[in-house]
Amino acid sequence: MSQPLDIHTLAGAYTLDALDDLERASFDRHLAGCPACALEVAELRETVARLTGAATEPPPARLRANVLSEVAGTRQVGPGKAGRPVRARPIRWRVWTAGAVAAGVLAAGAAVTTYLVQDRRVRQAERIQTVLTAPDAVTRTAPARGGGQVSMVLSPARDAAVVVLAGLTAPDSAHAYQLWLIDGGGATSAGVLRAGQADGARYLTGVRGADQFGVTLEPAGGSARPSAPSLATLPLR
Amino acid sequence: VIADGRDGGEQAMPPSPAGPAAVTPDAMLLAAGRGEERAFERLYDLLAPRVYGLARRVVRDPAQAEEVAQEVFVEVWRTAARFDPARGSATAWVSTIAHRRAVDRVRSEQAAADRIRRVAEHATERPYDEVIDETMAGLEHQQVRQCVLMLTGLQREAITLAYYRGYSYREVAELLGVALSTVKARMRDGLIRLRDCLGVSVG
Repeated sequence: MSQPLDIHTLAGAYTLDALDDLERASFDRHLAGCPACALEVAELRETVARLTGAATEPPPARLRANVLSEVAGTRQVGPGKAGRPVRARPIRWRVWTAGAVAAGVLAAGAAVTTYLVQDRRVRQAERIQTVLTAPDAVTRTAPARGGGQVSMVLSPARDAAVVVLAGLTAPDSAHAYQLWLIDGGGATSAGVLRAGQADGARYLTGVRGADQFGVTLEPAGGSARPSAPSLATLPLR
Repeated sequence: VIADGRDGGEQAMPPSPAGPAAVTPDAMLLAAGRGEERAFERLYDLLAPRVYGLARRVVRDPAQAEEVAQEVFVEVWRTAARFDPARGSATAWVSTIAHRRAVDRVRSEQAAADRIRRVAEHATERPYDEVIDETMAGLEHQQVRQCVLMLTGLQREAITLAYYRGYSYREVAELLGVALSTVKARMRDGLIRLRDCLGVSVG
């Protein structure tokens, strides 16, 4: 995905935790096969750790007791192969790149949605990334009736889109937002969010044949066809 | 620059009540990796001001910084057996975990949306001056201070904003009004210049 010549220059931003998760994952893969880069990162980490000396501050006294009591009940992991820090939690994939892409496509300062997708696999994230970085990617945004907004990064060349719902009214546990691709023949379901879910990002394919994208509120689990007019629509052409 | 060998102030040791064994972060982390809770307590005492201070800088809110610091130390305990001194110091190992956790916290979804808005609103106000002043005042160690002063303005701003504020390089680029590729390059060449100035080496 990233050009091999370019990836080297990410070492600084990587050390400073200034990459987004997708770039971070691709740099991690690069590091695994590049001992010189791994050494550079180790040295830059030492360098940056010297800077933390500038930020010391005594913590509240209770923190010590809290840490020690939690540690007393925490099992340790074995040495493992890698001698570098291993994160306790799975990487959380943020499609906040969508925000960055949108910011570039729209005028700077436009409201940008971000969304946190937990525990997604790298492949899923990369699929989304192919849309966000497509040369023909365009961004569309519409306010949703009842609040919030629906944004889309659309790549006709890849026949795919990433849809981001942000700040919509939270449905009750018996209802869910459903996504639709609409053409002359009617609406086809493009996925249903979880019941009660008000924010989300979805990867859609088969957008080329459709004229419009729409979102409706449906009974949990979704409907065969929209039971109400769309809360927001976006043109696909 | 006068090289005085190791960065002595950073590695200062408290008197060891346990005896003559060196109470260094490296030794304590290695012992913690073998399940020694006393060593972990020493490690906490050595590094807690650094971990909490860094979390405070990045997340700002004291209650959240405290939570982050607790998560960091629990993770340090849990994964201590994976620390390998041949690949870097315990201080760097713990600082890496701490910074990553703090950045994770500050970039949660709502925070990210707010920050983008702030970036747009304050684009002309240079809010980062304050960060740099704060940082320079805190760099009590002469050698570190001298080396930071040897950076170009853009290198210093890019590194400071990312490290102490948890900004992504995209946000840094927006704040400073420079190209993404420029920010990436200045972060790397700035850190390399610092590394060479401080005489840092690993392995």
